[in-house]
Order: sequence, then C-alpha cells, then structure tokens
Amino acid sequence: MLNLKQVAVAVSAAALLAGCLESSPAMVDVSEVPLVPGDAAIKRLTQVQYENTIEDLVGDDIIVPASIEPDLPSDGLISIGSARTTISPLGVEKYESAAYAIAQQMTVSDAVMKRVVPCEWGGPNDTGCMQEFVESFGRRAWRRPLTEDETASLMAAATSGTTGLGTFAAGVEMAMAAILQSPNFLFRVELGEADPTSAGQNRYTAYEMATRLGYFFTNSTPDDALLDAAESGALLNEAGVRAQAQRLLDSPRARDAVRNFFAEYFELHNLDHLSKDSIVFVHMDKDLGPDAREETLRVVERIVFDNEDYLNLFTTRETYVNRRLASLYGIPAPVTEGFGAVTLPVDGGRRGLLGMASILALQSHPIATSAVLRGRFVRTKLLCGTIPPPPTGVNTGIPEADANARTLRERSKVHQEEPVCANCHALMDPIGLGLENFDSIGRWRTHDNGALIDPSGFIDDYEFMDAWDLGRLMAEHPDSPGCLVKNIYRYATGSVEEFGELEAIEALIENFKISGHRVQPLMVEIAASPGFRKVREIENE
Amino acid sequence: MSKSSLDRRTFLRGLLGGAAVSIALPPLDIFMNGNGTAYAAGSGLPVRFGLFMWGNGILPDRWRPTGAEFDWELSEQLAPLAGVKEHVSVVTGMEVRVPNIEPHHATAAGILSGSPLILEGDHRTFSAASIDQVIANQIGGDSRFKSIEFGVDVDKGSSYNGPDNINPPETSPAALFERIFGGSFRLPGEDAEPDPRIGLRLSVLDAVSGDIARLNKRLGATDRERLDQHLTGIRELEQRIDRLANLKVGEACAVPGEPLPAYPDIDGRPQMAERNRALTDVMVMAIACDQTRVFSNFFSNPVGNTLYRDAPAGHHQLTHDEPGTQPEVHKIVLQIVEEYAYVVDAFSKIEEGDGTLLDNLVLFGTSDVSFGRTHSPKDFPILIAGAGGGRLKKGYYYHSDTEENASDVLLTMANTVITGNGGIPLSEFGNDDGLTQSSLGALEI
Repeated sequence: MLNLKQVAVAVSAAALLAGCLESSPAMVDVSEVPLVPGDAAIKRLTQVQYENTIEDLVGDDIIVPASIEPDLPSDGLISIGSARTTISPLGVEKYESAAYAIAQQMTVSDAVMKRVVPCEWGGPNDTGCMQEFVESFGRRAWRRPLTEDETASLMAAATSGTTGLGTFAAGVEMAMAAILQSPNFLFRVELGEADPTSAGQNRYTAYEMATRLGYFFTNSTPDDALLDAAESGALLNEAGVRAQAQRLLDSPRARDAVRNFFAEYFELHNLDHLSKDSIVFVHMDKDLGPDAREETLRVVERIVFDNEDYLNLFTTRETYVNRRLASLYGIPAPVTEGFGAVTLPVDGGRRGLLGMASILALQSHPIATSAVLRGRFVRTKLLCGTIPPPPTGVNTGIPEADANARTLRERSKVHQEEPVCANCHALMDPIGLGLENFDSIGRWRTHDNGALIDPSGFIDDYEFMDAWDLGRLMAEHPDSPGCLVKNIYRYATGSVEEFGELEAIEALIENFKISGHRVQPLMVEIAASPGFRKVREIENE
Repeated sequence: MSKSSLDRRTFLRGLLGGAAVSIALPPLDIFMNGNGTAYAAGSGLPVRFGLFMWGNGILPDRWRPTGAEFDWELSEQLAPLAGVKEHVSVVTGMEVRVPNIEPHHATAAGILSGSPLILEGDHRTFSAASIDQVIANQIGGDSRFKSIEFGVDVDKGSSYNGPDNINPPETSPAALFERIFGGSFRLPGEDAEPDPRIGLRLSVLDAVSGDIARLNKRLGATDRERLDQHLTGIRELEQRIDRLANLKVGEACAVPGEPLPAYPDIDGRPQMAERNRALTDVMVMAIACDQTRVFSNFFSNPVGNTLYRDAPAGHHQLTHDEPGTQPEVHKIVLQIVEEYAYVVDAFSKIEEGDGTLLDNLVLFGTSDVSFGRTHSPKDFPILIAGAGGGRLKKGYYYHSDTEENASDVLLTMANTVITGNGGIPLSEFGNDDGLTQSSLGALEI
C-alpha cells in the first residue's frame, strides 16, 4: 500500500499555489464549458420549504400545521425526491387542513389581514380590493404574476366566501385557501422557455430563476427583491444572477439554507427518531439525536460563513456542545446554558465530522456499532463512490464474540476472507473499523468486549492509523472536494447529474479547489452556471 | 349501536351560501355497489382487503407448519396464531419471481405488485401498483376512503399507485382516528349541525382543479402523471367531503375509543404492540362503519432496524449477524405474528350479518423477504385470514412442492375481493417474470 506522503505533498503544493494566485485566480469559465442541460421537473415543496415559505408569506407568528405530506428522499437527498414525488390522497387532505388553518389565522382580525391585503377594503362586495389582494398575494405565493384566467378563478373562490358567509374576510380566506392548495404553490413549477440569446436552447424564465435562487439560497420563497429582479429581466443574465445570489447569501435565511443542505446531505433528519437502548446507554434520551444534529450544523455553518476551507470539516477540533454532548464526549461543559464553543483536546482521539455523535450514532445499529454502515457512509456519501447492492442467497451471519474473536474486526473477518463478500466489503469495512473507538452513540472507548481495539485501516491505497488520522486522510483524499460539489449541484438542481453535465461539474470542482474549498463562492458559481440556468426542452407528445 | 339508527332518512347538507336543506333519500343502500346492485354470493355484504406487512422476513425452517389442507399443526413461529388458527390459512413454498436485484426491496415489490423493482443508482421504486391499490381501484369508489394506509414503525410504506407514486402511511393512532372519526363525523341519528363551509370548500377545490388542468397542458409526460395523481386526490377529497355530509355507515358501526395522543418509545424501544393495537382498533371500526374497504398496515420497514422488546440488537442487524439458529430473530418473529393474530382476533369479534367482519375480509400477512439472512425469494411467508365472503377456505394449509409463482396468491386475493364487491375479476396479475394468469385454486371454494 502507498504511503500518503506523496499525495499530501501534492495537495499542499496545490493549496500553496492557490494561495499565491488568490489575487488573480485562474478560475475556469464554467459558462464556456459544453453542457447538455437536465430535464425540467416540477418540485414539491419539502416540509421545511413549506414551513419557511408560509412564514415568509404571512409572518412567523402564524402557526403552520406540522402534519403535511412527508418528504421522500431519493438518491440520498430530499430535494431529489421532491422532483419525483407526487401528492397522495392523504397529502391532499393535510394540505387542505393546513391551508384553512393558515387562512383562518390570517383573517382573524383586520390588523392581521392587513399584512396581506394591500388596500382599504369596504364591504364584502369590494371586488376591486379583493382582486388587488388576489393578485399581490398570488404573485408572492405562486412566485410569478397571475394570468387573467387564474385571477378569475381565484375571484370565484373569493366570491363564494363573501356571498356565503357575508364578510370580506371570508372571501380572503377562501382565495387564500385556494392559492395555498394549488399546484402552483405546492410545486415549484420550473419548465423553461426558448432562449432568444442562443438558438435551439431553453433556459429557465426570469421568475423561475427567482424561485430557483430563492430555494437554493434561502430554502424559501423568493422575496420581493428577487421577484422584482425577475420582473426587470435581471435574472436572465449571469451577472444579475450572481448579484442576487451574493445578496441572498448575506441574508439570515442563507444560514438556514446551508444548514438544510447539510442536514439533507448527511441525512440528519433521521436523528429525530434515533433508536438506542437507554438502559445500555446512559446518555441516551430523546434529545440526544437533535443535540448531535445541532453540533454538526453549527460546525458546518461556521465553516461556510466564516469562509473556512470546507475540508476543515474533517479535522476541526473547534466544535459546539451542550451539557449532554459534553458529558458524552467526556469534556468540560460550556459555562453558559445551551450550546457553547469548545476545543476538543488534542490527545482525545475525537475531531471532525467523523468524530461527531450525529454521524457515529446514525451509522450504527441500536446497540452495536457497524463498520459496514459507517464505512458505507464515508464511501458513498463523502467520497461519492458506489457500492453494488449485497448479493442474495448468501449466509451473512458473523460469529458472536468469544475468546478467540472479541472485537468487531475479528468477528467480521469473513467479510474480508470470503471472496463473495470481500469485493464489496473491502470498500466499507476497512474504513468503518477505523471508527471502532466510538460506540454506537459516539462515546469514546478503547476496548470492545475487553479486547483492545485496533483502529487502523485504509481507503483503497491510502492508510490511516486511527479515527484522528482518518480525519486527516479525508481532508487530503482527492475525492473529498468533488463529492461536496456534486452533492450541492444535485441539491440545487434537484436531480442527479447526467452525462452531459459532467464536464461542467468538473469545471466547478476545479474552481472549488482553486478557491481553497470555500463553499459560498461555490454556491454562487453553481447558481451562475448554465447547468442551473438552462433546461432541456419539454417533449410534449 | 342499534340498527334502528339506520332508519334515519333525512340528511342535512350544507350548501353554498350556508343554507341548509333537508333532502329525503330513498331507502338506504349502504351495501349496494356503485351500480345499485347488491353484492353477490351469500351474505350480501362487501368483501374487504387488508394488508399486514412486516420487514426482514422469517426463519423458513421454523415457519413451515406440518400436515396439510385442514389437518395441520402450527409451527414454532406460528404458535401465536393458536387462538385464531381456524381463521388463518398458511401458504408456503411459493416463490417471488421478480429479479432479485436489490435485497428486500425487489422482493417487496414482487410480493406486493408481482412486478419488478425499478432501481437506478440509489433511486428505487415499484414499477406497478401494489395489490391494495389494484383492489382499491376496482372497489374503492364505493366507500368514503378509497383505501387507508397506516403503519407502526415505518417511514414511507409500500402502497404504490405506480412508479414514484406512493400513499404514505399514517403512523399516529390519534391522527388515524381523527381522519376517520373526527371532524363532523356523526352517526346517523346523532345531532349534526349543518356545516356552511362544506359548499365553500368544494368551490375552493374547483379552483384548484382548474389550476391543475391549466398547468397540466404545459408539462412533460412524467410531470403530467404526477399532477394527475394530485387531481385524483382532489377528486377523492371532494367525494369524501360529500360522503361525510351524507354519511352512510355499516350496521356494526360504532365510534371506537379515542387512542392516546402518543405512544412514546420506552427505553429507546418503540411500543410496537400498543401502537399496532391502537391503530387496529380504529381500523376495525373504519371497516365496520364501511368508511373504507381496503387498508394496509405497514407494521415495520423492509431493512428496518426496530429495537423490539427484549431484543439485544436491531431487527435487521440480527437477521444478518446472529449466528446459528437465530434464537433472537425467532423471538422477534413471534412478536410480529402475535400482532397479526391480534388483528385477526379484533376482526373476529365484531358481528356483521350472520357472522363476523372476518368472514368478509381477506387479511394478507407477508414480509419483504423470506429468510432474512439470505434475502431469499423462495418459500415466501404468506398468511391469509378471513373467509373472503365465503369464497376462500379458512384454516387451510397449502405447501407448493413446485415453487409456484407467488403472484398466483395475489390474483386469488384480488379476485376474491373484487368479485365480493360485484366487480369483474382480473384475468392476470403482475408483469414480466412475476406475471400470472392463474389463481391458486387450492385456496378457493
């Protein structure tokens, strides 16, 4: 096996070079790279997007019902699932209940109603003001101006309310309920149009770009400034997109959006129902999962918004814990209540993402650890490698611990020795076994069943000594930067890249490396790239 | 509930504008199908379909009963069925024939849809509707809910309308109760305030339908299918609003007790039995009240790592890692079969017509694999409780010596339920290698 020194030297030389070139970075112009854009697909708002969007439309004091159609992750991301899934009959019911719950809160008093009704209304028959409301609220909620047909249809719903219940408010309620149950609201409708600037190609419309930027950078509906930029046509050129992307990145919502990406990427929503035996694990309670998620998201938020090198994620000792996590990690708790910044001890063995309880607990069984799950996470999620599905018809049992084989490494030897297992398990186990010093909720341990744990391992030709050293290897691994780029690109576009997009993604990866792995510029680059702005023409057979 | 409450023939209906009017209705035709013809074969009561599906399979060697036909003994793993054995038929030796391209998921698609799994990268979906929806598409239009999906420790379930088109299960017993018996649900005879908002809700849904139609014209084929499902959902909601306002209930109907608001995990372990029973108790009355005729209980996930009562590790992990005869896996299977038995027993306790609800039910119990350790598609676990309106043998054991197509059983069950609602039987079930054109005659009367 190779020693990594050569690679490490090469990597640091590249970093040095990037540093020298900072004043005039040799960035690739992604817009010059050939591209076959992806297919259009309507995207159902995710649960978080629904909540954020309602909050932005009507105010954060409005209670948004928690029970709506659940997200269905696909290809590892909720945002990709959102471009494939539909709305079930149960989902229709839940969206209806939610729409009325929101609309009724908004019409509970004149003061609240004035937030969304832009005019002074008279009696129930004030159709002029009603239409103003329908058009302005509809534009915000549907992220584009309404057509005449649409306005007429919503006015009919409003009129049924005003005549049926005899108040202007009832009309507002009914129109709002119709707007919030419409596919124009529940789905992000991004279909594209012929691009007059390049013959034979299609691009997203200005309003569709506003929507794409809004959800990418704020995980919410486009704000007024973004819709105005769409109206002005500014979002149809690269410079206009860059300007808005940068503006949104500086807004508070961008932090939520970045956290949301990483939560999806690392599947941290599963921490809400972490199943661990609390008799075996004294630290286990229902808050451990959410607390562990918060730690991870605080670290990624800092790395992204303090413009740190993304690869610090694998080696950082600067993290955030509350008392529960401090106790789990065996370190002093922060002096303040709740979460506080701490520096992990240099000799503690724990650092970076792969030392966090979130990942360690999620990629474990309820009681036992799993070298397979942990190794697979590193291989597929962090390095974007693929592992074929396990074969069928194979005896998968591994021996229980006994005097001859006490540690997981010894017990799962069969994974390396049996040819039918070894091909795939060699891609996972040697990585996951390196994390055996952390038990199934992420607590440090040196022994397993009384035997000393050997935490050494390797990723392909690169060796590491223990979990600490694995962090170093992940930061140096040539596939780490590209895998993040691919995942953000997939998240932003809501689809897995196709062959025609690969060259453009390579260019984005190149630029990411040149930038010293800064995530904010990467997000702007992705938004400005043709892969985000262009779309294949819809085939309407 | 006394039968006399069914004599009420006037229903208040909220109309546009809030005016309430009384409408005299013809004699109640609860158990007539959509064409007004009574349900054929014997009781005149409709036949219902239920699915009970758990993850990670069984231990085939300890699952297979001994004996044959009506003379058989429960196996070790089926022991919890002792109290309901006379109602449960067991089928072993059948093979799920779809390509086993991904453990658990491929055979789950096979046993529920008779059709291959679609697997592209990390994206997987059934390629065809699952049996509950195949049946619901034929008979579901006659009741308030076309079908109802719920689950105990489950995420997305496996009720498919088609590719990437799933009916996610309700997991909260309280929410399931509220959905079926909450809101303005009133038994006939109880005071009901006319709800002036009903007409308004329908007007709003008209606007939504219009939006869908306008948008549909601009979409490609895949998106159009997705939006068609949305429209189907809107249509069904309109129907449910109307049917709730003009409620008809089955003769054995009573509103069940309200479940607890939550059933939290205890020591990190989900309360599988308590949750299953709370959900089942609601569901039994949903059937008795004829609010639906098709339900699915997704008890646990394929590949699910549920921490069962007393188990030393997660379920899925144990099925693979536990060496030898897998005593811990065995104990988990017993817990699961005990919950299937609870469902059977619950339906057997409600009288309907000259018998019980179970007489008019087909309750399909199965898993996503046969032997969990090897992901086997052979010797698949199949349980069928209920007499299917007198169409199916009860308490019967059939073992296939020739590894017959498991889809044969699907066709048998589907046609039992469909004909039990006056429908036209299907000529085939499944696709490709899973396709069958013959039902499993041994089960049929």
